[in-house]
Amino acid sequence: MLLPESIQSLINALERLPGIGPKSASRLAFYLLRATDDVADDLALALANLKKNTAFCEECFNITEAGRERCEICESTRRDGSVICVVEEALDVLALERTGGFQGKYHVLQGVLSPIEGIGPDDLKIKQLIARVARGGVQEVILATNPSMEGDATALYLRQQLEPLGVRVTRLARGLPMGGDLEYADQNTLLRALSGRQEMS
Amino acid sequence: MFLKHLSLTNFRKFTRLDLDLPQGVILLTGGNAQGKTTLLEAIYFLAAFTSFQTHADRQIVNLEEAKKGSLTVTRLVAEFQREKRRHRLEVRLILEPVGVLNGQRLRKEILLDGVKKPAGDVLGQFNAVIFVPQMSQIIEGAPEERRRYLNLALAQSVPAYARVLGEYNQALTQRNALLKALSEGLGGRDQLEVWDEALSRLGAQIILWRIGAIQRIEHLAARVHHELTHGTEILRLAYEPAYDPLPKPNGQLGLRMNTVVDRSHLELDEIQSGFRARLKELRNEEIARGVTTIGPHRDELRFLANDIDLGDYGSRGQIRTALLALKLAEVNWLKERSGEWPVILLDEVMAELDLQRRADLLKYIGGSEQALFTTTDLKLFAPEFVEKAEVWKVESGRVEKA
Repeated sequence: MLLPESIQSLINALERLPGIGPKSASRLAFYLLRATDDVADDLALALANLKKNTAFCEECFNITEAGRERCEICESTRRDGSVICVVEEALDVLALERTGGFQGKYHVLQGVLSPIEGIGPDDLKIKQLIARVARGGVQEVILATNPSMEGDATALYLRQQLEPLGVRVTRLARGLPMGGDLEYADQNTLLRALSGRQEMS
Repeated sequence: MFLKHLSLTNFRKFTRLDLDLPQGVILLTGGNAQGKTTLLEAIYFLAAFTSFQTHADRQIVNLEEAKKGSLTVTRLVAEFQREKRRHRLEVRLILEPVGVLNGQRLRKEILLDGVKKPAGDVLGQFNAVIFVPQMSQIIEGAPEERRRYLNLALAQSVPAYARVLGEYNQALTQRNALLKALSEGLGGRDQLEVWDEALSRLGAQIILWRIGAIQRIEHLAARVHHELTHGTEILRLAYEPAYDPLPKPNGQLGLRMNTVVDRSHLELDEIQSGFRARLKELRNEEIARGVTTIGPHRDELRFLANDIDLGDYGSRGQIRTALLALKLAEVNWLKERSGEWPVILLDEVMAELDLQRRADLLKYIGGSEQALFTTTDLKLFAPEFVEKAEVWKVESGRVEKA
């Protein structure tokens, strides 16, 4: 059976989204087809406004409202500009902000190095980070990319690039989650926790 | 360890099979193409989570069911005893239709004692060693066959091996993609270093494990082989890592050396830093070729009898004997490491061995907890051996007591 083109093109568009396979894509498309008009209209409007009403902060490349040059965090005078925490995505900023434990500023790379997907340093906000640090006033850069192979590779690359600038470079600790059971930790995490053990103070 | 119960659903020609298995020796008899080998394949699948017959899991799903296009579940359930405790291991292969078109997707789920777990956590819980005639490919075939053999054996006995190998392949794919881009003039060379780091860290670990495993298996295999050949041949396993952590003697780079190389003193850090340095030396060449030219993905293992390469010059009889020694060594090695006998699976081996070697083989596995043989002809076994064994008849996908 051949589908009308408008449905097939919606399915294709949905399938390009992360976490959505062919099955979910067709289910969503047919749901929208059957649902009342305002469901589809609301979605279309929200999607259209998404790009129109947001922009990236020119300093840290976090998401901000359109029309602003710099985000709230970068403009805040209460935040410590001498510490920069480097993360992969804007959502990571949100996660760190929820902790309330970090008073420095951020830098969002907007991805990680991944040659398979053709993503190199020029596709990330790495040059901008180097320029930011080179301007001075930064004492420490915290590398908070995910503890995945690509995240680790990106962190290593950043360390190499930052080394000549004489800034302190640190990496987030890795190990066991709070409230977790040793018994149920996966082998990989446990091994890393073991090798990264610390002196009790 | 031994299997107490095996249950198969939609596994190749077995749409449904339930079997209680006794300890000791089980002889599976029957004509060709009745399902004897499939039974061994199923048991091995529960140990390795992959088939020795095929690289594609999809092929083991019952063909008739898979063709229907609806959701098909292939289920393998084993109840086995290990260290006096009973466990239940279940593997599900779920073939499901995808989207509105006629695609199908295969999903694998592994449950130990009813709990879903990643394969890496369960590998090694249930061990089996399999011996099939076409395994002579390990010695005669392409180097890939030998690496596959090594990987399967190591994954069963080193808990972290499968995971590290997976990560190594991931790093390798990334690095190759980068080399390819660099060879086309895209991107900066400074990125290579971070992938060199990942590749050498994971690669060194694999090399170290392989050195240890090969050395031990060689030792065990040589002893068995010595007896099987009545002292006329000496078997050696020569590991030839594509990145060799030991410096080669000057001026003999291209020569196949048959001298014994002892790598057992090497340490992880040493291998890693050497590997990384070598990658640096090869950088220009690798960029030009667009692929990673050294590392465990190109390792080679050679089998030598009296210093003659069996892959090149071995007779069929020599290869069979070497393979038998290798497999028996694998049994001993797994037993050494886990403290438990693996289940031994032997497919049509008797027909290929002479009388003396048949007797030797039975002597070696005599102490095991459970061994399954397939044969088309019971006469190949000594009558007193058949007497003590459980004999089953396999006919068009059904198993009955003979």
